[in-house]
Amino acid sequence: MNLHARTLALRNARDTLLRQPAATVLTILALSVVLALPVGLFTVLGNLQNLLGHWRNQAQISLYLHRNAGPVAVARLRARLERSPGVVGVRYVGQTEALAEFQHYSGMMAAIRTLGENPLPASLIVELNPLAQSPQILEASVQRWSRDPAVASAQSDLQWVARLQAIVSLGTRAVWALAFLLALGAVLVMGNTIRLHIAQRRDEIDISALVGATRSFIRRPFLYQGLIQGVLAGVLAWLIVMAAIWYLQGPVNRLAALYGTRFPLVSLTPGQGMALVALSAFLGWLGSRIAVGRRLDNTFS
Amino acid sequence: MIEFVNVTKHYPGRRHVLREVTLRLGQGEMALLTGPSGSGKSTLLKLLTRLEDVSHGTLMVGGVDLAMLRRRHIPADRRRIGVVFQDHKLLMDRDIFSNVALTLQVAGVSGRQVESRVRAALDRVGLGERWREFPETLSGGEQQRVGIARAIVHTPEILLADEPTGNLDPALSTEILDLFRDFHHHGTTVLVATHDQAQVERLGMPVLHLEHGRLMVPKELS
Repeated sequence: MNLHARTLALRNARDTLLRQPAATVLTILALSVVLALPVGLFTVLGNLQNLLGHWRNQAQISLYLHRNAGPVAVARLRARLERSPGVVGVRYVGQTEALAEFQHYSGMMAAIRTLGENPLPASLIVELNPLAQSPQILEASVQRWSRDPAVASAQSDLQWVARLQAIVSLGTRAVWALAFLLALGAVLVMGNTIRLHIAQRRDEIDISALVGATRSFIRRPFLYQGLIQGVLAGVLAWLIVMAAIWYLQGPVNRLAALYGTRFPLVSLTPGQGMALVALSAFLGWLGSRIAVGRRLDNTFS
Repeated sequence: MIEFVNVTKHYPGRRHVLREVTLRLGQGEMALLTGPSGSGKSTLLKLLTRLEDVSHGTLMVGGVDLAMLRRRHIPADRRRIGVVFQDHKLLMDRDIFSNVALTLQVAGVSGRQVESRVRAALDRVGLGERWREFPETLSGGEQQRVGIARAIVHTPEILLADEPTGNLDPALSTEILDLFRDFHHHGTTVLVATHDQAQVERLGMPVLHLEHGRLMVPKELS
């Protein structure tokens, strides 16, 4: 198909949209809200996962070392731990440091002194990203590390990691389900809009068919209409999500300051934004394709 | 150019609309299709544009058996034919130029050619100066001229007209039918369905008379 025909169809689509500015704006607004909802939720979920990732000191495993474990064996174990997936840091706590911590937190130094020598072992504190691996894999890693000759025993609380991961998984799945439903909604919104345009232009479609127009000639302006509205709705949805993140950043900053930390919210990256626009354009095109296809089946049957 | 051989058209559960119609209209010939309302005139024209399918028999247009034509080739086949309708079938929200240009646009004719050919077609029907007006500003006869310009702008091999003077007064009917005769003189095959007996007699063209779906063909077309 030549460029002239495509240009003609594009002009036709543009003119149709401009002839009914209110209807066009309302359709774009409806589509953008439908798209902004799941994308906004995904963004919030992503920020939540970032936040949980920051809580890595909550996911710690303590590997208590044998008294006779030499510095070479400990260094080798430490290097092995640091290379392990999901491990974000390994800290060595010597006997003296352990005693100082015990004194600081327990206040039972008098009892310890009666023992004559420091009974607390040295340990390696392994800090984990709680969302990097499944609890089963983490548990297996702990088992493996605890079998190292330098390790006397291991202490871990992976139950809360399992709970956290279950909650995040539930949230992700809920957002995906919502996204699917809203994407379906977007297709229906666009399909219904194009269906109304088709009803208004039924004479044009029939006359075009009578003078020898092909299906693609008749279909193309409607597809471009869906595509244009989809692109504009995608851009608007992107702006809505960015505005929402900007709007939330103030309260999040104040909340984070109360915990003595900073937490900059992450918005959509340019790549994600472009993907959103592309998805929106596709949904607009798809809705149009379905609506116009049904009409053309009647015209050409 | 147009050849019906024992063509029958019937709809499921209904009477036959056309019964074993046989006729031949050669290249550049013109004929008038007459008959009372419901005699099958419009159906016969619809068969030629594949708006309806033949039930039995063979229908050839320009050497092509329409029954063998694949569905996707129908639009290209329709572009060989110009059709004029009684109710004009104009797009009222488009100006005259755009209405006529539609035929060329669907055929993929480029922009510059469209303009010159549309202007030429409108000149031929006497509306060359009014190409920017909208159909609602035109009289019935002028609207029909726009319909004719749209039908001939791509210089079709065949021109069909379904009651093109149905809503017009005698003077306008004469003008319109004279236009068809003019196209016939320029080599276009023309078939005009009409029930205007006065015009039929005035034109003195071969007449195909349909009565209850049966065709009475003059000797020269049988």
